[in-house]
Amino acid sequence: MRKLIFLSLLVIVMIVAAACGDGEQASDEEEGEFTPEESIEIVAPAGAGGGWDTTARSAAQVFDEEGIIDQDIGVVNKEGGGGSVAWSYINSQEGSPYNLFVSSPPLIFVPLNGQTELTYEDFTPIANVIADYAAFAVKEDAKWDNLNELFDDMKEDPSSITVVGASSPGSMDHMQFVKIAKEAGVDVTKIKYVSNQEGGALTDLLNGSVDVYSTGVAETVEQVKADKIKVLGVTSPERLEGDVLETFPTAKEQGIDATFVNWRGFFGPPDMDESAISYYEEKFKELSDSEAFADIRSKYGWSEQFIGHKEYKEFLAEQTEELTSLMEELGLAE
Amino acid sequence: MNAMQGLLDGFQIAFSLEGIMFVLIGVAAGTLIGMLPGLGPITAIAIMIPMLYGMDPTLAMVLMAGVYYGAVFGGSTASILLNAPGISGTVATAFDGYPMAQQGKAGQALAIAAISSFTGGTVSIVLLMLFAPALASVAVSFGPVEYFALMFMGLAAISSLSEGSTMKALISGVLGLMAVTVGIDAQTGTPRFTFGNANLLEGIDFLVVALGLFAIAEVAFLIKNRNDDSLAKTQNIGSLKLTKKDFKEMRGPLIRHSPLGFIMGVLPGAGATVSSFISYITEKRFAKKPDEFGKGSIKGLVAPETSNNAATSGAFVPLLSLGIPGSGTTAVMLGALLVLGINPGPLLFQDHPDVFWGVVASMYVGNLFLLVLNLPLIPYIAKILKIPRPLLISLVVMFCIIGVYSISFNVFDLYLLLIFGVIGYLFRIYSFPAPPFILAFVLGGMMEQSLRQALTISNGDFIIFLESPIAIGLFAVSILSFAFPFFKNRRVKKAR
Repeated sequence: MRKLIFLSLLVIVMIVAAACGDGEQASDEEEGEFTPEESIEIVAPAGAGGGWDTTARSAAQVFDEEGIIDQDIGVVNKEGGGGSVAWSYINSQEGSPYNLFVSSPPLIFVPLNGQTELTYEDFTPIANVIADYAAFAVKEDAKWDNLNELFDDMKEDPSSITVVGASSPGSMDHMQFVKIAKEAGVDVTKIKYVSNQEGGALTDLLNGSVDVYSTGVAETVEQVKADKIKVLGVTSPERLEGDVLETFPTAKEQGIDATFVNWRGFFGPPDMDESAISYYEEKFKELSDSEAFADIRSKYGWSEQFIGHKEYKEFLAEQTEELTSLMEELGLAE
Repeated sequence: MNAMQGLLDGFQIAFSLEGIMFVLIGVAAGTLIGMLPGLGPITAIAIMIPMLYGMDPTLAMVLMAGVYYGAVFGGSTASILLNAPGISGTVATAFDGYPMAQQGKAGQALAIAAISSFTGGTVSIVLLMLFAPALASVAVSFGPVEYFALMFMGLAAISSLSEGSTMKALISGVLGLMAVTVGIDAQTGTPRFTFGNANLLEGIDFLVVALGLFAIAEVAFLIKNRNDDSLAKTQNIGSLKLTKKDFKEMRGPLIRHSPLGFIMGVLPGAGATVSSFISYITEKRFAKKPDEFGKGSIKGLVAPETSNNAATSGAFVPLLSLGIPGSGTTAVMLGALLVLGINPGPLLFQDHPDVFWGVVASMYVGNLFLLVLNLPLIPYIAKILKIPRPLLISLVVMFCIIGVYSISFNVFDLYLLLIFGVIGYLFRIYSFPAPPFILAFVLGGMMEQSLRQALTISNGDFIIFLESPIAIGLFAVSILSFAFPFFKNRRVKKAR
């Protein structure tokens, strides 16, 4: 009999303990703690091997290897519409804390070009992690030695100079050049820009088909080392760090007060829970501060630029405003 | 360090235990990836990159290169057996490879493809080894003007792809040109023929068109003619043995298209797909019996199969000597090199000779492996055809769907696959040839873009096309290829 009472007491204690345990967890969630309980998906809105894909895969790798996030993270390539196919997919995952995507300035360009209804405001900006900058290069034996010489010639006879880039007009390689050239006083509606999307933009510069190559800084380093091309200017606010990178003059120091940043960060679907936002914000901060990610940054020639959730929104609003007026002037915005 | 010493060091890497292992894993994985329709080397290598982190750069490159040329090698299998191109570089292989298989000569076709791949691969590695640094200047010699001329030359031969009515071939080609304009126009940023559908903004993927027009259309045709007894012999695999006459037939195209494919591979933007088409049409244009092409001609199989493998090695020239990726796959490899701590550029050859020579040496070994792996397997692989037809057809459809979905993870592309399948089926019923469509689709996009790039540069002046000796040469060949059949006809008539 005693035994039975003891046993039933034990059972009651266990039940209460279990209930308390549950209660603790429940109260945790109320206080706003979020821990992922399913695997997390990071969408790269383009094919394998591009900038978005590389960023997403290296982030997922560091999250896993450094044990920053315990859950499995899968990178999914959703190609199409310059990103807009993936964006509509994420947009439909309202409130889900398990579907993230990586993005960069095309999230501003593509809506401005009228190719999607969605803008950054239809998503939850979580954190920016990387900054990449543009470089404007010419052949080693070109007659220009700095941006001002080039822009002076462009003011005089815009039809004599052709700029090449990998993206189409109204997207990154074009707009980064336009932004700097406009500040220097060039009539941006007269700039001759050709897009070479088959990977031949650098070739076109080297064989003299075109005069100026608008690209990312990392693409120019090896060619500069080999004395094939020279970089007239980069779009960063200050000189970049690194062996060859530090020799590139900024547009700013040449008296052209404009910068362009190819930011790259992570976003979630609309209406993400505050607790999930702060969870990811913290994790991306950890990622950004980790040595493993610093190593990846230096390999790809990226700069560190962490921007948290709240400031990110403001940053995106500013970027959008600047680019909108520029694209309206070019007649590209819809 | 001289070339001989470099190559010896390279072989030391390639013949080390790890070296052999990585070559073997690379080519085996590549063959398999190539065989599966849709799944291509780009995706495979991109997914591999995080795993390469911290690996020895030379070995990692050996592995990636193995996947790349292994896939081009293996891609011919599905083209020949099922009319479902394994990768975009082996679409032209199906033109004559599949008819051969249908005539009960599947084993022979696979053997010819393997030997052609091996020859194209090996000859081009010799060229790569001897001339890579010197060829760097060739790689950058092509600007928009020259590319336009090259694509023009290819399209000029479109009528030669007709089987019967030239008019039908031209209509098919024009439809191909129309299909390739869908999507955002690179020169203006304006969407064309997308009907407000975001899924069409990036245009239509080449493999979706190829699998639809060839594989799905063929499946539909087989279902329609399921009771036709004449199809029974397609289950025969035939002998693997090639006769002396076969080898004699193969010799010409092997000699011609190894260097041609290699040069095309060297040009950034051309690559295995364009080279296989250009090789096929030039071979047909200048053939003594062009009528046999498209009906199981050995020459028609050897030309693209030699060319695409040769182009694969050629693509390493701009990558390793200039740091310029000439194709999607080499672009991904360039990214991988960065991860491995190697900056690909004009100085790579000087700073990391071991990477260059290691890759070159491993490619000799890899190609040999591929031949040794593939030849004995042919009878077993060809047994696919023994699978009861209803099951085989379902499998082909399933693999096409998986393959297309794996390109973009977008269900919309599956509808496109179906649409192109219907178009391909209608083509067959009304005897419109599909090859001109696919040729125009491959060459037309680049032709239009390079034309407009050139005219933007010249401020609209067409004289720019006559200022380049290379372009003039290519235009001359185009005119020659127009005129050649007429001359030949007259000669034949005179002889009679």
